[in-house]
Amino acid sequence: MKRLVNILGAVLAAALLSAGVAAAASLTFSTGQIAAGSATVTGCTSSALTATRNANNSGNVTQVAVLNVPQACAGETLAVTLENNSHVSLGNSSTTVGACIGGCTVTLTGFGTVSAASVGFYALSLVE
Amino acid sequence: MRAFRITPARLAAGILLGSLSCAGVGYAASLGLVSKSLHAWNQTLTKANCNQSAATADDTFVQQGSPASTAGATATTLTIRPTATLQDYAFIRFDLSGCSLPTTGGADSAVLTVRVTTSGNDTISLFPVTSSWSSSTLSWNGVSGLTIGSTATGSFSASSTGNKTVTVTADVDTAIKAGTLWGWELRATSGTATVAIGASENNTSANRPSMTLSDEN
Repeated sequence: MKRLVNILGAVLAAALLSAGVAAAASLTFSTGQIAAGSATVTGCTSSALTATRNANNSGNVTQVAVLNVPQACAGETLAVTLENNSHVSLGNSSTTVGACIGGCTVTLTGFGTVSAASVGFYALSLVE
Repeated sequence: MRAFRITPARLAAGILLGSLSCAGVGYAASLGLVSKSLHAWNQTLTKANCNQSAATADDTFVQQGSPASTAGATATTLTIRPTATLQDYAFIRFDLSGCSLPTTGGADSAVLTVRVTTSGNDTISLFPVTSSWSSSTLSWNGVSGLTIGSTATGSFSASSTGNKTVTVTADVDTAIKAGTLWGWELRATSGTATVAIGASENNTSANRPSMTLSDEN
């Protein structure tokens, strides 16, 4: 019986250790993959594209146009978040970049009621 | 039926299998993350004020009764008259080139102020002009060649003298993106009186048109 307890103890310790290693490995792997994600920036564009917005007579944003989006980005999801000066989101919208030759202007709407005067930043992203 | 006995070896095998299975789930979740590439960036907006005064204004009025004449840069008031066959329209614009705004910029807020110097029972409406004109050449005959919006940006009552304000944010925002602000045509959309507003050449500076502009670029 004492031998059985010893064996079980050893096996449990090994199992817990391996589980711990597995979790650590996953964490390390995830960190590595974020870096790998950055490396794929060159996939469609490595440039910071320029956005411009339209305002209605109430001073609210009606749409955001992202200019000169490369043709290579067609099919990717373009997301725009309107942020205030503290980088707090005021509204966001996303769309799929359509096919266009030589670069195109992608227009996003549906930001809700956002005062143009309160927007300090555009946060933009392209996701494959 | 044969009884299943949990031996130490079987127990150990079970625990190891469970651990490996957990590790497998962890890898699968991680693989899901790598399948997307992300390019993210921020664009910082610069805010400024670029208020306009008579110094950057250009204005005139045209007369149906004198279709070839130009009020040019000499009129000190701009007449607006709704009388059929004798209508007068006023035109006002501002030169925003001193604001150095890129066409990717825009207006956060823009408010036009004019001062009614001769009152009447008219409602004066502003219609956006999007083609070029100059006070030195514009006449009634030239108005038909301009591109003028059919929807009024705003209006005011001219029933009393004094300052009248109209919000023109959308028009100025559009104009910044187009590169030039060509201003507005002011005409009576109701009423029967002949009214007047101060021109940029008015001897009293408070009578002259102005525009507050908060912009971003």
